Amino acid sequence: MEPQTYDGDGFTPGKTAADAGVRDPSEGSQGPREHSIRIRHLTKVFQSKMKTVRAVDDISFDVDRGEIFGLLGPNGAGKSTLIRILTTLLQPTSGSAYVDRYEITQDPEKIRSIIGVCPQNSTLDVELTAYDNLEFYGKLVNVDDRLLDARIWELLEMTGLTDRAHLRVQTFSGGMKRKLEIVRAFIHQPLILFLDEPTIGLDPESRREVWEQIIRLNQEDTTIILTTHYMDEAEKLCHHIAFVDRGRLVTLDTPDNLKQTIPTGDLIEIGFASMDDRLLPEIRTNDQINSAEIRNSTIFISAKNGSGVLPAIVSLLARYSIPMRSISIRPPSLEDVFIYLTGKNLEEGTGGESRTPPGGHRR
Amino acid sequence: MIKGAVAIFKRDFKKFLSNPFVILMTLFMPIMYLVIFGNAVGGTITHIPLGVVQEEPYNDYTPLYTASLHDLKTLAQKDYPRTFDVAVYNDEQKAKRDLQEGIIKGVMVFPSPVSRDHAVRLYVDSSDYATPGLIQAGVQTVLARSGATNPVQIDKIYGEIKYIQFFGVGVIVMAIFMTTMFGGGIALIRDRELGIIEGYLVTPVKRSSIILGMIGSGTVRAFLAGFTIFLVDLLITGIVIQSAEDYLLVLLVLFITSLGVTSLMVSIASRFTNQQEYSSVAAFFSLILFMTSGAFYPTIGMPDWLRWITTVNPEYYAVDALRSIILRGQGINVIGTDLVALLIFSGAAILLGIFTYRRTLE
Repeated sequence: MEPQTYDGDGFTPGKTAADAGVRDPSEGSQGPREHSIRIRHLTKVFQSKMKTVRAVDDISFDVDRGEIFGLLGPNGAGKSTLIRILTTLLQPTSGSAYVDRYEITQDPEKIRSIIGVCPQNSTLDVELTAYDNLEFYGKLVNVDDRLLDARIWELLEMTGLTDRAHLRVQTFSGGMKRKLEIVRAFIHQPLILFLDEPTIGLDPESRREVWEQIIRLNQEDTTIILTTHYMDEAEKLCHHIAFVDRGRLVTLDTPDNLKQTIPTGDLIEIGFASMDDRLLPEIRTNDQINSAEIRNSTIFISAKNGSGVLPAIVSLLARYSIPMRSISIRPPSLEDVFIYLTGKNLEEGTGGESRTPPGGHRR
Repeated sequence: MIKGAVAIFKRDFKKFLSNPFVILMTLFMPIMYLVIFGNAVGGTITHIPLGVVQEEPYNDYTPLYTASLHDLKTLAQKDYPRTFDVAVYNDEQKAKRDLQEGIIKGVMVFPSPVSRDHAVRLYVDSSDYATPGLIQAGVQTVLARSGATNPVQIDKIYGEIKYIQFFGVGVIVMAIFMTTMFGGGIALIRDRELGIIEGYLVTPVKRSSIILGMIGSGTVRAFLAGFTIFLVDLLITGIVIQSAEDYLLVLLVLFITSLGVTSLMVSIASRFTNQQEYSSVAAFFSLILFMTSGAFYPTIGMPDWLRWITTVNPEYYAVDALRSIILRGQGINVIGTDLVALLIFSGAAILLGIFTYRRTLE
């Protein structure tokens, strides 16, 4: 497989967590009360006969009260492990974390009563009805019996499942199940809501509905921690985003700031049929251009002022008689930022300890 | 077509080989059947406890009594230990009480006059499927050997009990085991596989509440299954329960057994993440416990090593208690030992279940 990196030419690996500056969570800077979550040097090592995996590797950051916080990374980056530690399902190997004012290893029971969790894999009981699922969960999380019925109908209303309240969940579509599961995690109005890949495997319509749901829940002053490997989702929902890769925190910032991490303005992609070796060096001589490379019969160029340099590039191609198939020009997305910072595609997945992509920026 | 078939063959075979534990268990099962079933059923019954007494008033032992007693004590089939363990009684009433309580399987009462017309009375525990016939045959052999022509008057103290009535009691206990081991255990493992149990763990619900809830629901399910089969058994076999007290005793035995078996299941299921592996272990347990419970065949016919298993087998005590109540109409004084054994088993199983499942939850 070809490494997906922005190569050479004045590009240095992006900021690490340590120099992410603004939100660097140096010890004792703020009291635990102002943050919903405070994580310090959290590490989780899985040991088996064959190998040792550092699923979470010395991660530190804070989550503000009332925000939607996105945890982004490819499959196997350690997002779910981190969530499992924060939701008291796993003990960290070292480091500490506060959820609200409770330490995860010292007061797990307290934490469990203030969080709501919607795990990656559905844990709905598909043989029970929607109403029964909510009722059962409501009792587990100690919702007052007098309020429970009204609360259930309120949540069913919210998800538009009122008319399906007494149908078994196995008759529901994937989107309906997901929405039901998300509101179930919210039945006791937790202070902090963890959503692990809430929209995985959903069609665009259902994803939009789930997003609306999440925004609505957030308006009730709930802090929401969201893991995803969909960039558009994070961009749309999150106030802050942490990039995680191979168990490490790559960077943490607002979506807008993250996009400015790339020292380029725009990305230009030109598809071609045949290539001349002399072209690339020629393009790189233009000082507006940060980088240029060729992959899969496409030239990838990043330039400060994309539309300004495009005519020059086009005429250059014409001079070498290179027939063009397509041209696109766009501002960088979060995905590009991620690729720039980690040297790999989000969808790619790593399985944590696996190979280093050649040319990838490892930290 | 061949290519597809080969691909499926290979896939199935790979999966088959990938789980050596299940392979081992599936091979182990028939062997267990052979060894246990073969030994538990149809073995030659020896050492049958038999009471012998001479009727009142007696002045001295009659020659018939003396000769028969000697013969009974030494009677044996070729190459086998002696058939009867003879207990000599002086009091006919005491002997009959012991018979009622199941301490001895039969009482032979000799007439006190020296005579060829007075009947030899034989009382047998007809709730025991195999021994009455053996006792009868043995007694007649002994009398014939001493040349006596006295008639033998046989009294089956519980009336005629058919095999289905004998066996039916075992099926009630089997129902409890089946429901729990297969229904309950597999549902529990599936819940774990689906992450439903993990879903509990992020809620403030206490670990002990989870276990208590699981044992509670399983116990009620098993109890209902046992109770249903109990009613069906009464209908099919036409047994009539004599008193309300007996009904209550049956329910008590069913409940304690259900509680113990469910806790045991929770404990075993907590050690497995794989449905297949669990099923094979559960099948193994069901087999060995059911075979040695005496449900099929009286435990008296089993070889010693199987009888050792019987003494630690909760199913044996459950079957024995139910048989005492249902077939013999006996009360708490007789089933006391069985109840104590069942209570010890249930208590131990609950502790084990809580301890092992708690560890799984941590």
